[in-house]
Amino acid sequence: MTAAEAIASEADRIIAARSKAKFAHSLIYIVVLAVAIWCIKTTIIDDTDWARLGSVANVLESIGEFLGVDWGLAATLWEPALETIMVATLGTLLGVVVCVPAIWFGALNITPYAPVTYPLARLMMTLSRSIHEIVWGLFFVAAVGLGALAGVLALAVRSVGFIAKMTAEAIEDLDQNPVEAIRAVGGSEFQVFIYAILPQVLPTMIGVIIFEWEINIRRSSILGLVGAGGLGLVFFRQLNTFNYPGVTTTILAVLILILFGEVVSYYVRKAII
Amino acid sequence: MAASKTTRNRSGAKSARPREWRRFKFPQSIYRWVGVLLALVFLSYSIIYLNIPLERFLNMFGRVSTLITERYYPPEIDYVMETDYLSSVFDTIQMAYLGALIGMLMAVPLGWFGSYNMTPSRRYVYPLARLLAMGARAVHETIWAILFVTILGFGMMAGVLALTMFCIGFAGKLFAEEIEAIDMGPVEAIRATGASDLSVMVYAVFPQVRVAFTGIGIYTWDVAFRAATVVGFFGAGGMGWYLKRNVLQIETTRVSAILLSIIVLVLVSEGVSAWARERVAKAK
Repeated sequence: MTAAEAIASEADRIIAARSKAKFAHSLIYIVVLAVAIWCIKTTIIDDTDWARLGSVANVLESIGEFLGVDWGLAATLWEPALETIMVATLGTLLGVVVCVPAIWFGALNITPYAPVTYPLARLMMTLSRSIHEIVWGLFFVAAVGLGALAGVLALAVRSVGFIAKMTAEAIEDLDQNPVEAIRAVGGSEFQVFIYAILPQVLPTMIGVIIFEWEINIRRSSILGLVGAGGLGLVFFRQLNTFNYPGVTTTILAVLILILFGEVVSYYVRKAII
Repeated sequence: MAASKTTRNRSGAKSARPREWRRFKFPQSIYRWVGVLLALVFLSYSIIYLNIPLERFLNMFGRVSTLITERYYPPEIDYVMETDYLSSVFDTIQMAYLGALIGMLMAVPLGWFGSYNMTPSRRYVYPLARLLAMGARAVHETIWAILFVTILGFGMMAGVLALTMFCIGFAGKLFAEEIEAIDMGPVEAIRATGASDLSVMVYAVFPQVRVAFTGIGIYTWDVAFRAATVVGFFGAGGMGWYLKRNVLQIETTRVSAILLSIIVLVLVSEGVSAWARERVAKAK
């Protein structure tokens, strides 16, 4: 085989591989599209009551009811907004307290007894992340009664998963020398955690906590729907009394609150890290 | 132990006390303490303001455990194996798929307009796109669900639209960040040939972010599925409706069975999405 033939066969091989990849890609696109069309058929076309929905004009009319701002309501939104922020803050902090054992057990390199404690911590994280805050809210309203405490507990439990997962991953990547040093002077597992590991992961952890606080503002703004107070309760009341401009006003208040949270978290992050 | 021991400070003179070392010097230490103090004051004020009954918090653990063991404990697995419920699970998956797909398709232009380096106009389009993405993300998916149910009536269309809004916000932000991190060389090369903004996007930007977008898309589907489990709670279709019905009827063993099924499904979807993302990253 001459050099030219070798190059030609190599080129053929590349062309064949490319066309094969192209075929696979177009197959994936076709499957994605076909599934999408089938989903549109079953979920939207078959499931919607088109007669009740009426014409486009009807829909536009019902959207139009939401336009406008209820200024009288806007002046009273300070208190629920403050409540929402407070619930989010307390929930995040309680979540940080709860997640310390989850972090300790959930990082493979420091977990006290890997076969038992590691799956336990993973279970905690998965439970916290996979159950929606609404469901946690319902559960804690059943356990401690209506009020802000249920919201705080729901947010705390819901925050554990994300904070613990990110921090445990940071711990798994950390520098082992301080850990060995503390072990060498006879520190217990807990002392190793406090003196060798925490100082190394604190910047990551604080960043994650601030991020989670931002998300928790968003979450606490709806916990009123299940009886935990704040802006969600106002939203629910406005909706149930058919005061649609009031609904819009409440949503705008949530937006402003979240914008405020983003600004605060930007400056706090800059100040601390 | 060191009562008789003396140490020398820097000037060499003997002093009775060892030199104190501090991490923060005088002004910073004051700022730090004031900051911590303010945070503590805010916390205690909010506990008082929110009227949180601390004694109830303390005996909560006993109550939660009796709640679980007496009322929620034997989950009624038979209930979640019925065809009605399984078909609603299937509906939920479809809703999440469709919402994530439509949301991502709409998030691509939003990511383009909202990326600082590629946006057509930094003064008008960029802030507008950022604001849209933030608004879609800031409003919680249950609020979107309630709004769409109010406008369009009960059914899965409201759920799909709510998930679409959620995914627009979620993917729009990640897409914009991904576009902001590209290599600007190819962009300049394509621009130098006199190409329009759209051709620059198609030939210089998309080839660089294609793989990352696919990964983000799969992740978006995963997150949308978690949100889809509860949009039905407010009448937007899927398994959330079964959850609400049983919560209202205080069928606690059925509720726990439904929650278990949600956990299993989320675990499966997480596994599938991790596997798919790994495949995509490898195919790069």
